[in-house]
Amino acid sequence: MDYIFAGILKAFGLLFKGDPVTYAAVWTTVSVSSLSIFASLLMGIPLGFLLGRGRFPGKRTVRTMVDTLLSFPTVVIGLLVYALISRQGPLGEMGLLFTVPGMAIGQTILGLPIVVAVTATSVENLDRRLGQTLLTLGADSRQVLLSTIVEARYGLMLAAATAYGRIVSEVGISVMVGGNIKWHTRTITTAIALETGKGQFAMGIALGVVLMAIALLVNLGVGSLRRKVDQ
Amino acid sequence: MSGPICRIEQIRQEYSGKTVLDIDSLDIAKGGIVGLTGPNGSGKSTLLHILAFLEQPTQGNIFFQGQPCDAKTDGIRRKVSLLNQEPYLLKRSVGANVAYGLKVRGAPDISRRVDKALSLVGLNPDDFSSRAWYELSGGEAQRVALAARLVLEPELLLLDEPTASLDEESASLVKSASLKARERGMTLVVASHDMEWLKAVCDTTIDIVNGRLRER
Repeated sequence: MDYIFAGILKAFGLLFKGDPVTYAAVWTTVSVSSLSIFASLLMGIPLGFLLGRGRFPGKRTVRTMVDTLLSFPTVVIGLLVYALISRQGPLGEMGLLFTVPGMAIGQTILGLPIVVAVTATSVENLDRRLGQTLLTLGADSRQVLLSTIVEARYGLMLAAATAYGRIVSEVGISVMVGGNIKWHTRTITTAIALETGKGQFAMGIALGVVLMAIALLVNLGVGSLRRKVDQ
Repeated sequence: MSGPICRIEQIRQEYSGKTVLDIDSLDIAKGGIVGLTGPNGSGKSTLLHILAFLEQPTQGNIFFQGQPCDAKTDGIRRKVSLLNQEPYLLKRSVGANVAYGLKVRGAPDISRRVDKALSLVGLNPDDFSSRAWYELSGGEAQRVALAARLVLEPELLLLDEPTASLDEESASLVKSASLKARERGMTLVVASHDMEWLKAVCDTTIDIVNGRLRER
């Protein structure tokens, strides 16, 4: 057990001294995950609304597919994206392999079904009287849509927080698509796996602490936003 | 003498092939309060939903201020407002709930009008305006929902069982708010089982039995 406590102590040392390798991994993680969650929300919220509120043939099948994608293994996503963006792949000429945007594509595929499914569920669970109330208060169709988004805000925040949690903690996509390149595509999770494999527990624990701090910050941010919106 | 604010002709509403409302003709006189009575399931709420342009009747015509209208008529829902029996409050503060309709209209002087509407239904704006929607009793929520309609000063205000979940004092406040609304030129149609309340408030009362009208 001693090496764990020693690792924790050393972790704080690395963090407070501003260890460049640690902070490079933190920066890459924040960059990739921010890009991914932004893209996931941008596409996922409208699709979730469509799935939750819309009426179209095959809706149940689409819902089942989206729910199935929630448990899409990250290595399989990594494999698919690798196949797409590797030199032999259809998008090979774009030079996305082993880059931050390439990793973001994979993580967006990971986060998108979560945002769609949670948004659809929260929209489905909205009170049936909402639309009628908005109409009878004089809202036009655009105002009804915007107000419905506001009413579904807790669900949307949950979707964002859940998707971000999955994105920021994944390893498979980052390793396969990013290549775990030091200073460039090495994220917190891939660095933890690498450093632990090398027996460098201190670095692994330091990065683990940062990862948990990011998760805490995201949750605090969501909570603060929720309070602000309620006022 | 001005014509009716609303006229319906040959209205029939069917759900799954079953006729729930069948009215040959009905005029709602402008500036009055019309009471709607009848047993549960007689078609009162359906009629109110049709008058509010929230439901399209299976057949028939609605004329609002002499013009044929339906749900697609531009701006019609800003002239008519409905308070349902179990009103829904937006997940916002009381003040924001009452202000909502004014905001979507881009109306001026919102804060003062919201305070005035809350006072009209017997809620002190200083106490209630910043309260969250979940901090209200059933009766308070009902009155907030009513204030959210009154503040809009619609030409036609439809109330579905506005006193069903209210105590005597609150019902009395809703009565005085309804009378003040009429004084301001609004026309009200109120569906209720509370005959005493209707008698005290309404100029005319109409019975609906099995989806058909029986005027008193």
